Amino acid sequence: MNMEAKVIVTYAGQTGDLPMPVDYDASDADIRRWVTESLVTGSVTGIGAVPDADLTDFIVDRSEANTERAYPLILCRPKTAFG
Amino acid sequence: MKKVTIIGAGALGSHTAMFLRNAASLTVVDYDKVEFKNLASQFHVKQGLGKNKTQALSGTLQLLWGLRVETFPQKLVTNNAEQLLSGADLLIDCLDNGTARRVVQAYAREHKVPCLHGALAANGIFGQVVWDEVFKVDDGGEGAPTCEDENFLPFIAIVSAYLARMAQEFLTTGKKVSLWIPPSGASLKM
Repeated sequence: MNMEAKVIVTYAGQTGDLPMPVDYDASDADIRRWVTESLVTGSVTGIGAVPDADLTDFIVDRSEANTERAYPLILCRPKTAFG
Repeated sequence: MKKVTIIGAGALGSHTAMFLRNAASLTVVDYDKVEFKNLASQFHVKQGLGKNKTQALSGTLQLLWGLRVETFPQKLVTNNAEQLLSGADLLIDCLDNGTARRVVQAYAREHKVPCLHGALAANGIFGQVVWDEVFKVDDGGEGAPTCEDENFLPFIAIVSAYLARMAQEFLTTGKKVSLWIPPSGASLKM
């Protein structure tokens, strides 16, 4: 059975949730595409519409459900190359 | 007191050393020198300009709190990893390039040393404090905008404080907590 995950995106200094859960095992490319569509249409809770949203270099991280969180989480985030 | 080795004494590493000063015996590794631009976003002071970052940081911690810090003013590579990283109870990776991060990761995994990674996105818009078991090295820092603008200092301090706090939590309880840190500073547990 496929598990559904909540998707969070952090984009240009703002963070929000996708309106619908997605398949936890969906490909990174599919997740980036869905997040981009959601940003462009303004359907990400907490982030206004971003007509030119570009997530080409974004990273998709996954975190399974655990004792503190009953559902899996997917985060679409910018690269963190600095320290 | 447990020994913590911080690799990288730039934005995250210099502040993390400052925040961890009461919690561990510190060793710092970095080959780079303090430049004027670093003063805006790193825990370095004017008196350290031109000095190696580990030695400048050691001097500041000594001056302010009388602390002694072991310093390795050398570039970390595979061939000297044993010399620079051995003996640590915890490694904290605060580096700014994927190649060196992988050296730390390989050493930590081979020698089973706990390793906590700190990482920042360009322009101070996202940070991570992640244990090695779930850390992915992101490349692509070379030539990109960096987190050196003075406006990023509060966010750098937030991520550094989380690094120190998660290190402290591990040193006292053994618990490993990884965090995603959006720009609001409100962390998300992985």
